Amino acid sequence: MIIELGHFAVITALILAAVGIASPIVGLKRREAVWVEVGRQAVTLNFVLISIGMLAMEYSYLTQDYSVKYVYATSNSKLPIFYKVAGLWGGHEGSLLLWSWILSFFCMLAARIHWKTQPAVMPYLIAMQSTVMSGFLLLILFLSNPFERIFPIPLDGRDLNPLLQDPAMVMHPPFLYLGYVGLSIPFSFAMAALFSGRLGEEWIKATQRWTLMAWLCLTIGILMGGYWAYYELGWGGYWGWDPVENAAFMPWLVATAFLHSVMVQETRKMFKVWNLFLIILAFSLSLIGTFLVRSGILSSVHSFAADPGRGVFILGFLSFMLLLSFGTLIFRSAKLKSQIEMDSVISREAIFLFNNLFFLVAMVTVFIGTLYPLLTEALQFKKVSVGPPYYNTVFMPVALGLVFLMGIGPYIPWRKASIQSLKGLFLIPGLIALGGLAFFLIAGIRHSYALAGLTVVCFVAAVIFLDFAKLSVFWAKREQVSSLQGFLTAYKKNPRRLAGILTHIGVLVMIVGIIFSTIYQTEKVLIMKPGEETGLGAYRIKLIRLYGAEGVNWEGQEALFNVYKGETLLTQLRPQKRFYTVSQTPTTETAIHQIYTGHIFLTIPEVAPDGSWARVRALHNPLVLWVWYGGGIMGIGVILNILRGSRMKLSALHPEPALSEAPVSLPRPAREEVLHRSNRWQAFLNAVWPGRKEV
Amino acid sequence: MKGGKKTAIIISILIVVGGVGYLVFGNFGKNLIYFVTPSEVVTFAPDHYGKKVRVAGLVVKNSLKVVPNTLQLTFDLTDGAEKIPVAFEGVPPDLFKEGQGAVVEGFWDADRTFHSQMIMAKHSEDYMPVEMKKAGGALPKKDFFKTLKVD
Repeated sequence: MIIELGHFAVITALILAAVGIASPIVGLKRREAVWVEVGRQAVTLNFVLISIGMLAMEYSYLTQDYSVKYVYATSNSKLPIFYKVAGLWGGHEGSLLLWSWILSFFCMLAARIHWKTQPAVMPYLIAMQSTVMSGFLLLILFLSNPFERIFPIPLDGRDLNPLLQDPAMVMHPPFLYLGYVGLSIPFSFAMAALFSGRLGEEWIKATQRWTLMAWLCLTIGILMGGYWAYYELGWGGYWGWDPVENAAFMPWLVATAFLHSVMVQETRKMFKVWNLFLIILAFSLSLIGTFLVRSGILSSVHSFAADPGRGVFILGFLSFMLLLSFGTLIFRSAKLKSQIEMDSVISREAIFLFNNLFFLVAMVTVFIGTLYPLLTEALQFKKVSVGPPYYNTVFMPVALGLVFLMGIGPYIPWRKASIQSLKGLFLIPGLIALGGLAFFLIAGIRHSYALAGLTVVCFVAAVIFLDFAKLSVFWAKREQVSSLQGFLTAYKKNPRRLAGILTHIGVLVMIVGIIFSTIYQTEKVLIMKPGEETGLGAYRIKLIRLYGAEGVNWEGQEALFNVYKGETLLTQLRPQKRFYTVSQTPTTETAIHQIYTGHIFLTIPEVAPDGSWARVRALHNPLVLWVWYGGGIMGIGVILNILRGSRMKLSALHPEPALSEAPVSLPRPAREEVLHRSNRWQAFLNAVWPGRKEV
Repeated sequence: MKGGKKTAIIISILIVVGGVGYLVFGNFGKNLIYFVTPSEVVTFAPDHYGKKVRVAGLVVKNSLKVVPNTLQLTFDLTDGAEKIPVAFEGVPPDLFKEGQGAVVEGFWDADRTFHSQMIMAKHSEDYMPVEMKKAGGALPKKDFFKTLKVD
């Protein structure tokens, strides 16, 4: 009964989504606010209805109602309750429901937040969001219905895929969806701006925090997926250029480019069409990601059973969305000719331009590699696959370029920089980087990309550190406080800039982690008998014994290893080979010991039935945790960036003479820039650091 | 904006795009790996020996042999028509089993053996319980694009 209620609620939601498209448009045409209001209420009600659908599904999971086909397919009575709840997004149908639910939630939230401040564009926003919503609900109700029943009723479920029975896997899809779907709000704002012709900077200001939030969730989702692959799949790697990883990576790259180029529009009113293009592209890539993953046309860990009907539908829906959005952009872009042109190749605008170029090039590279096999197959050529070496060779130089730009971008003035000022900014960091290069050479690093990468990281770190030092000392002197307090003052004066730099520091940390854990990984694969030992870099591992082990829904074998450094016993590790009885699936459970921020990583992919030997895979991954620590720092940076937004709002309510707090001894930055609030910090920094003064 | 600056910007963009284009297309051909069937493998001419390909097929029942105390396995892979012997060294994935689909990456050589160091077991989210597997076996995955055509 409950499940039919949920089903009915979602059917009603589809009807309301249609109302959400039609009534705001009618309202605009007839100039009657009541119609628009109907659309707004439809959006709220939609969220309530889809929530009922979600609750009905979860109720079936918790009451173990295996007459629901999807519950039968992704759950089992022996499953721990945590995974019973998460079973909902363990397969295709439920993931789509979760996606729609997040979409309806964000849509309702956006309608509530921006209703008063953006009245002119809201009808369009609601119509646009409802269009996306209808597409997903049609797909759910007609081609992948999670509310379907089966008869005869099975006694027990088929179990959740054991690979998904992991905490990281429970959180990974929802975060990715929050990211994917989060991009739909800036997208709808952009579309609303195009439709309404209100193409100023409003839509960008309204959507900046939405984009940051979506970007943050996407980053968390990707990193969690990487962590899951690292220890659950037992490869000891976190990135394999799998088509589905690429599907999440492409919108991430474009969203990152957008977050940067938006700043140019804010400050310099340039790149207007470009920004619209980027956000439309980012959301389109989210949809393409869904297409790739959900249609089942890619063979990968993530692919779901192929159903051609779904593929055709998603392809049709995708084509409609692409035509609608890019078509509108093309027809409207004539209005958007930017009045301001670039002054110099050595200016922050130019750095942003190259930043965007690099991100787009990276995206196109991944796009070609991911879709080329599909293309050849469609054209009835040979079946091919594109290997990781392709991505690596193209990606490394692009990534190096991006990190370098990241180092100079925030410090090069807008408009035009003089050679003199560049010397002041980058001479010392350049020398430090050269010193670093010499040090790495002496330390025995010979890998060319590792050397280049670490040198660039040194350079960027030096630039950032020197800037922090100068800022801290300046404010410490001015306020007569300690340097640390001086730094905090600097942060308070300009939270957004420092939050951005913190994100960049996170990127540096992550890059060092990637370099060391991939290039300096030690790997050993061998057969071991109890009592045998083997060296692993500076460590030794010894297999003590092999024995049987079991859990609630699995049985298997466990190995006991001693890990030594020299003669000292560091730890004991117990990797497992499990066999999940319900689904008849084997899995390899990793055992990890952390040394500083690196890992000793052991798996036993195969154990002899009589327990006399085991196949052992042993890895030493130096600094591997820096990959995720770096991600954490990036996340904190972005969270601070989101929070400063609300603080700015408060200060707008209680205006304070912010600009006058900056030292007034120097001429204010000239021209229209003074008018722009986000330029306060530019003015302030010009004061602090003559090196960056505009010439 | 003066003409010179515009040119400078355009030239820098061209250098970046050109460089990346070179990287992409210079490496693309080298890094493409072709999918072939066991039937195609057995007809390989000697100039194909040693070239990396991927072969998809079913692991023949009772053909899997473990070379004791080494990391070597041998098994036969079939597409129904032809059968090829595969010599593998390394760690096979969890889902690798006799009677199941697998993709192996490696090369065919003059000794008429397929040498592989990588096995990708086919696994989907939607795996079947034992009873169903016995009854039906895995249905061939329909080619998505082919279904777009009207028969």
